[in-house]
Amino acid sequence: MLPLLVCDDSTMARKQLIRALPPEWPVSITQASHGEEAMTAIRQGLGQVVLLDLTMPVMDGYQVLAQVREEGHACRILVVSGDIQDEARRRVAELGALDFIRKPATPEELRETLERLGLFDHQAAAEAPPPRTEADFKVGFRDALREVSNVAMGRAAALLAEELGVFIQLPVPAVNLFEASELHMALADANRGERLSAVCQGFVGEAIAGEALLLFHDSEVADIAHLLGLRPGGDEATSEMLLDLASIIIGACLAGIAEQLDIRFSQGHPQLLGQHARSIDELIHFNGARWRKTLAVEISYALEDRAVRFDLLLLFTEASVPRLTAKIQYLME
Amino acid sequence: MAGQAQIDMRELHWLLDIVQCLDVGVLVMDRNFRIEVWNSFMENHSGLGADQVQGRSLFELFPEIDRVWLERKVGTVLRLGTRAFSLWQQRPYLLRFETYRPITGQADFMYQNLTIMPLAAAGREVEHVCLMIYDATEAAEAQLREG
Repeated sequence: MLPLLVCDDSTMARKQLIRALPPEWPVSITQASHGEEAMTAIRQGLGQVVLLDLTMPVMDGYQVLAQVREEGHACRILVVSGDIQDEARRRVAELGALDFIRKPATPEELRETLERLGLFDHQAAAEAPPPRTEADFKVGFRDALREVSNVAMGRAAALLAEELGVFIQLPVPAVNLFEASELHMALADANRGERLSAVCQGFVGEAIAGEALLLFHDSEVADIAHLLGLRPGGDEATSEMLLDLASIIIGACLAGIAEQLDIRFSQGHPQLLGQHARSIDELIHFNGARWRKTLAVEISYALEDRAVRFDLLLLFTEASVPRLTAKIQYLME
Repeated sequence: MAGQAQIDMRELHWLLDIVQCLDVGVLVMDRNFRIEVWNSFMENHSGLGADQVQGRSLFELFPEIDRVWLERKVGTVLRLGTRAFSLWQQRPYLLRFETYRPITGQADFMYQNLTIMPLAAAGREVEHVCLMIYDATEAAEAQLREG
């Protein structure tokens, strides 16, 4: 049996990946939920073949690739990632990854890749198919939504990277159920005392409704204009630029989520909530009378080597949570 | 001929996609208020799929509609073949939908403008009408804030 290591911070992603493996492939599977765990397993010889995620807490996929090379382990690593920027592919290839598979990986794609790399031989394996007992996975709702968001934000980042011509550093998305006051605090944190502009776009589909909120820091707007090849203009030119950027990021992110959950969203027009606001209160008036809790997915995109960051918040209404849960449940079965 | 037909089919697909994607509610019903067309906007904002409303009466599905008022408006459209309108200032909405901004918006519902358009079969009397529902919430909020 071939020692196979599956490393991803999301339980759902590991579950999806292990299910997509050729059933007759004779492997003994070890799982790791971040890079450090992966390194421990690799040092114990449990990772002759490694399926590796990139965006992870503690130690990410790039660091694992570098560490494996430094310690001289002979493992064969395939990256399976939602970060599909061309530059990400280039970097992992440079660090010695054999291939790059886009999340969520399909059984056909995995089989084809494993056969092409000579890691799995369909003819030889068919003779003695060992039944693989499926590990008992308990995938939580937050974990699943985080992974769905992770794949969606990766697609948005790939488009953004192309538009701006830079590499985007992707964080692990945060998923939280916020009370109105907590959301307010989270936003005030993002504010960091700087002047802000914000774009907001509503969406609704199959009883799942919410708003996407994108926050820009004013001090970074000139940098963004420069990257887009625009000359810094007045407020009107700037607001159009912010709306265009927001449409790319929010549009790609929502499309990624809609595709995975098999929904079609109606989207309202994006709205510029305000420019140069000194505080969140000046920008956003939460209608506290109408809602108590919101399910928030927070994604913070950072542009490499530049002090530019976009904060994207997907705020789902409390009433959307049961439907969203059902959709995600369906995805996990 | 075949090429021409293909282009027409393609355009038809586009038109269907456009009607589906429009950020305007589109519904077609017969003179008995039985629904025949229900686009994505209507599905997403009402929470009812096209298959759930097909052939059913608008008044059964939405008993809150002012029946006398709508019957009179639609009756005129069917009889005269002219369009009819309703503005949010006079009547805030036809169907009570949530707004697009449930978290940061201030309105409690979607303000709507309504257009009722006659649909005639070739050379025949008008048997169907199309209702178009426009989201006027932003304009309404701005005006109500000022006033």
